[in-house]
Amino acid sequence: MKVADLVGGVIVLLLGIAIAFFSSQLPYDSEYGPGPGFLPFWLGIVLIGSGVFVLLNILRKHTKVDSFLKPGTKQSAMIFILIFISFLLLPLLGFSVGLAFFCGLTMRLMGKHSWIACGLTSVGIAIGIHFVFGQWLNIPLPVGIVGW
Amino acid sequence: MELLRNLYMGFSISLTPANILYCLAGCFFGQIVGVLPGIGAPTAIALLLPLTFSVNPTSAIIMFAGIYYGVAYGGTITSVLINVPGESSTVMTCLDGYQMALKGRAGAALSVAAIGSWIAGTGSIIILMCFAPALAKFALRFGPAEYFGLALMSFGLLTVFGGEEPVKTLISTVIGLFLATIGLDIVSGLPRFSFGVPQLLGGIDFIVIICGIFGVAEVFNSLEEPEEGDLVKQRMRLRDLFLTKAEWIASRWAIVRGSIIGFLVGIIPAGGITTASFLAYLGEKRFSKHPERFGTGVIEGVASPEAANNAASISGFAPLLALGIPGSPTTAGMLAGFLMWGIRPGPLLFQTKPDLVWGLISSKFIGNLILLLMNLFLIPLFVMVLRVPYTILMCFIVIFASVGAFTVNNNLFDVWMMIGFGVLGYIMKKLRYPIVPFVLGLVLGRLAENSLRQALTITGGSFSIFFTRPISALFIIAAILAYLSPVIRWAMKGLRHPKMDVA
Repeated sequence: MKVADLVGGVIVLLLGIAIAFFSSQLPYDSEYGPGPGFLPFWLGIVLIGSGVFVLLNILRKHTKVDSFLKPGTKQSAMIFILIFISFLLLPLLGFSVGLAFFCGLTMRLMGKHSWIACGLTSVGIAIGIHFVFGQWLNIPLPVGIVGW
Repeated sequence: MELLRNLYMGFSISLTPANILYCLAGCFFGQIVGVLPGIGAPTAIALLLPLTFSVNPTSAIIMFAGIYYGVAYGGTITSVLINVPGESSTVMTCLDGYQMALKGRAGAALSVAAIGSWIAGTGSIIILMCFAPALAKFALRFGPAEYFGLALMSFGLLTVFGGEEPVKTLISTVIGLFLATIGLDIVSGLPRFSFGVPQLLGGIDFIVIICGIFGVAEVFNSLEEPEEGDLVKQRMRLRDLFLTKAEWIASRWAIVRGSIIGFLVGIIPAGGITTASFLAYLGEKRFSKHPERFGTGVIEGVASPEAANNAASISGFAPLLALGIPGSPTTAGMLAGFLMWGIRPGPLLFQTKPDLVWGLISSKFIGNLILLLMNLFLIPLFVMVLRVPYTILMCFIVIFASVGAFTVNNNLFDVWMMIGFGVLGYIMKKLRYPIVPFVLGLVLGRLAENSLRQALTITGGSFSIFFTRPISALFIIAAILAYLSPVIRWAMKGLRHPKMDVA
């Protein structure tokens, strides 16, 4: 966890530097008072200070030791990959079918449900999304090769 | 008299069949969300908010309010029956509620929680009816300096109520504030941090962020650390729900004390229902003649935190409606809803939208009654919800979050942003960076910056305006004290337990 915390602290520090740098490109004040760069600049400075504080604290071992990777982290990573793949396919499959594909895959790979259950649920979900969101709530969901 | 007239108008709105249905749906949905570990009220509101674009704002806010206090009721069921809090606000209920269930008094625990919540809820609505309009009238004196001071104080109070590492609370707040600055600057018209991406010119929509940070991130977190417990198998008959005379005597003042603590904590920006239940439990333990029995199944240990979380869920509406300042992520979600429907909550809301305000307030009487009945008679039905496999539940969260994020601007860019914020929320939780300050920073960011700039424009850049106006000065001093509270606590600790020098 110490390494993860250190990385977190470094990211905060870098984010602070980036915010301070990019906001310094914006006008700090204007004719009528503070400019668009005023608040972000100071937010960047506070982040830099806080990042340094976090890093010093970690180096002085003032943080709790806890493992960053847990037994369930694999599951979280897997669902992230499933979401990522399914969402990459959204423009091709369309919203209804794409999300149904995600649900079927998740139920099969993570819930260990039978192929039949996954297939039937996916079809139900695709129809449900299309009618509830697309037809009833009139949301213009992107359509794919199936046509909805 | 005016109060009664307003209340009559409110009931004429909330008692229409459509609004009763929305209230019922909100309470039912909130109860289910409360029962399910891993999903909280902010998630439920984040997922449903985009679907209410075309719904009447009064009906939609009545439903969301039902979800908010429904969650506080529902979380109790899992806390008592499986020792797993369905909602963070019912963590304290586990301590004595589960012990009562093991002793065969699950019915009494659930009953006192429902009755206590109802008493606290109803009492809080009555106080809210008197307090919120007075607060709104007072807030009419607020100018930009006061609003900036109030926002700063809210951020400062997060340091007091926030996590164990105040610096991480500060970082979360600042990141939230920074995200609120992305997009076109409303004064100069200059793009800020959009890096040529046209979708970022309008800023990042709050709904996209909360769908990711509460919806998708909750999926990742729940998979990593599933909350499971063993259900106490107990046949619950109607007569098991009745409290004995001794139980009623023991719990009645605990309910009153819990209600008072809950109401007061709820109106403090950044207070929230979790803090309310925690403080009520500690207060009750301190007040008790037998504090050592707490944690072994005493009914006061259930009655007080349950009354407190419900009272806080009602009083939390006071700063939202009267000042336009949300005190918790759930009310922040509701503020996003108000803005989506084109309504700006604040002191003028009571004058410009009395139908909405009084319709909402009166609906809480109906909602609390619905929830009392649901919790006395439908508990087995809600326990059945626990049997839904998490993989299926997870799919529905992702579906609602994706559709919700897409609906904001009808583009897939927002859906990818939502996933990005889901990952951010997951990592923040793992590294113990609190989410609440991030959300409040985000939602109050624009108000804070605009107020700051307006105030400094009035004085030509002098910060004296924040200290020469009494209300603003009060807020700023409270904010400074809040930010310094970790240092003060550290110094006090040092004074109480000085390090012994070993010669």
